[in-house]
Amino acid sequence: MLDGIFSGLSTAVMPINLLMVAVGCFAGTFIGMLPGLGPITAIALMIPITYGFDPSTGLILMAGVYYGAIFGGSTSSILINAPGVAGTVATAFDGYPMAQKGQAGKALAIAAYSSFSGGTIAAIFLLVAAPALASVSLSFQSGDYFALMVLGLTAVSAFAGKGQVLKAITMTLFGIMLSTIGTDPAAGVARFTFGSMDLVDGISFLLLAMSTFALSEALLSILRPTKDTRSAEEKALKSLGSMKLSKEEVKTMVPVIGRSSVLGFFTGVLPGAGATIASFLAYGMERNIASAKEKLGFGKGSIRGLSAPETANNAACSGSFVPLLTLGIPGSGTTAVMMGALISYGVQPGPRLFVEQPDVFWSVIISMYIGNIVLLVLNLPLIPYISRLLALPQQLLVPFVLFFSLVGVYLVTFNTMDIHMMVIAAGIAIGLRLLNYPMAPMLLGFILGKMMEENLRRALAISDGSISFLWERPITLVILIISILFLTAPLIGNLRSWLANRKAAVPNDGEL
Amino acid sequence: MSINRDKFGALLFLCLALIYGFYVGDIPLLFGDEDAPFNARTLPNALAWILGVVSFIQLVLPANQEAGSLSNAFRGLKWGRVVILAILMVFYGLTIRLLGFPISTSLFLMGGFYTLGERRPLVLIPTAVLVTLAFWGLLYAMGIYLTPGDLFYYLGWMSNDA
Repeated sequence: MLDGIFSGLSTAVMPINLLMVAVGCFAGTFIGMLPGLGPITAIALMIPITYGFDPSTGLILMAGVYYGAIFGGSTSSILINAPGVAGTVATAFDGYPMAQKGQAGKALAIAAYSSFSGGTIAAIFLLVAAPALASVSLSFQSGDYFALMVLGLTAVSAFAGKGQVLKAITMTLFGIMLSTIGTDPAAGVARFTFGSMDLVDGISFLLLAMSTFALSEALLSILRPTKDTRSAEEKALKSLGSMKLSKEEVKTMVPVIGRSSVLGFFTGVLPGAGATIASFLAYGMERNIASAKEKLGFGKGSIRGLSAPETANNAACSGSFVPLLTLGIPGSGTTAVMMGALISYGVQPGPRLFVEQPDVFWSVIISMYIGNIVLLVLNLPLIPYISRLLALPQQLLVPFVLFFSLVGVYLVTFNTMDIHMMVIAAGIAIGLRLLNYPMAPMLLGFILGKMMEENLRRALAISDGSISFLWERPITLVILIISILFLTAPLIGNLRSWLANRKAAVPNDGEL
Repeated sequence: MSINRDKFGALLFLCLALIYGFYVGDIPLLFGDEDAPFNARTLPNALAWILGVVSFIQLVLPANQEAGSLSNAFRGLKWGRVVILAILMVFYGLTIRLLGFPISTSLFLMGGFYTLGERRPLVLIPTAVLVTLAFWGLLYAMGIYLTPGDLFYYLGWMSNDA
């Protein structure tokens, strides 16, 4: 393990990689601060740039963008109560009131220190947990992988939120359906290509990610104009106030950071959970354990209320790398995009990555420390200057996003048909977004669909066509039972509340 | 009367499941694969069934009133500019080979800026041209060479001869 750490360290501190962490954090912060563009878009836009790099450098850049986007989202949450990213909604609960009291600089500093600590502590956990899990998962068989993929897909649907479970399941299935287009890898026969040569290789992952996120988010910002918050943000950034923290404030933050890091990391490890759920859980936990007097301060600029979600969301970002790096299963839309990029570099994430390409594995983990330092040392002081970039008007910004998305895909295949397919896919994505269908489960379904089919086919071949592999190994059975619980729990919850509502309505109906 | 937004979505996916399921029959099978426990049609068949059942459940379950009506979801949207941008993207795809990267990209960016309300020629033209040329140069530096356009070769203004 020590060899690996040193090899990762030597890769991560290479000048090009250090530069990429800094560029990634900076670009991520800028994109995260823009209304409507989230980390998935930020990462997707970076993929074409990373094609010329080594896999380690590419992944390091994308990881930097991920942290940067979360940090950028926190900045807009604190300054103008407009979270650019769902994972920073809870940050606004106490960050914005603090900024209104004239302590915006202090709130940003608390957010930055908490993010740094959460990210760093979680990276230490990752350092220990990832190799351990990777060694265990080396013994996994096709059936276990199939079960794990089912778990990943059901968990994403289960954590989709109230009223969204069936929609998330639908989108996951839609994603798997899209993955079946093209040549069947085992039989070599064409499926759903309708005679088109452009579909023989299937739909490219990059095309799908770019059109359903970058393109559709940019077009939606024109279609459904939201309040342009950049001028307010720019104004707020000009009057930040002091960024210094007192000893008392630091003392208050330390235990919160400890608790929220652990909670955030483990929530991030869970497939489908991620930064948003982690930040809300941490905020709720802090409020529950606070004294009655401290509880009154929550929502009015409490340091604990700001520090907890900020620590947890960054810890969850690091945690979400665990299933990706060790099992090759992305737990969130963001890590799904990263996985797609890795596959296109020719790197297959999973337990073999730890053995076959330890430099990629370890350099990503080491770069997380560097990324967190960059965010703290470079981004925090640079925040006022980022405001100048935000002044770029929307009429220039949106065509640039469209151009980078289109060219990003075109440069991979040099096939103009891809540009037309992107327009069609973006149109469908806009329609689905207007119908309130989540896009991340589709991307996850698309990525995992092919792998799931391959593993299921292999498991069936090994077990002579019998599905007994689903219960013969305890690990497969346990994973499948958890999947069933994940899937049925929200559905049963919905059914119970519906029955309760009906029951409550019946006596009234009976009254004459 | 307007249909509930969620119900409309469920109906769309039910139709998709039916169409997808219908075309599963068109997937060719290798000789002897018909009786194999897993062939090229197995997963698509299962997907069509599961999506059909999930959409049907969503369709028959009580409507989520918070979702609102379909007309509300699509009301007040500014389709005009989005449609023009979509046409510009298609145009970009059609011309990138013929006119070449520099010209088609500059035209696309200028069109995009103009569509979204930028009317100052001194901003519109230099921004589009400079960004395009800078990006072209960056790609060249990265070892990716995009030709200036087939049209110039057809016209004889450029040649492939060394």
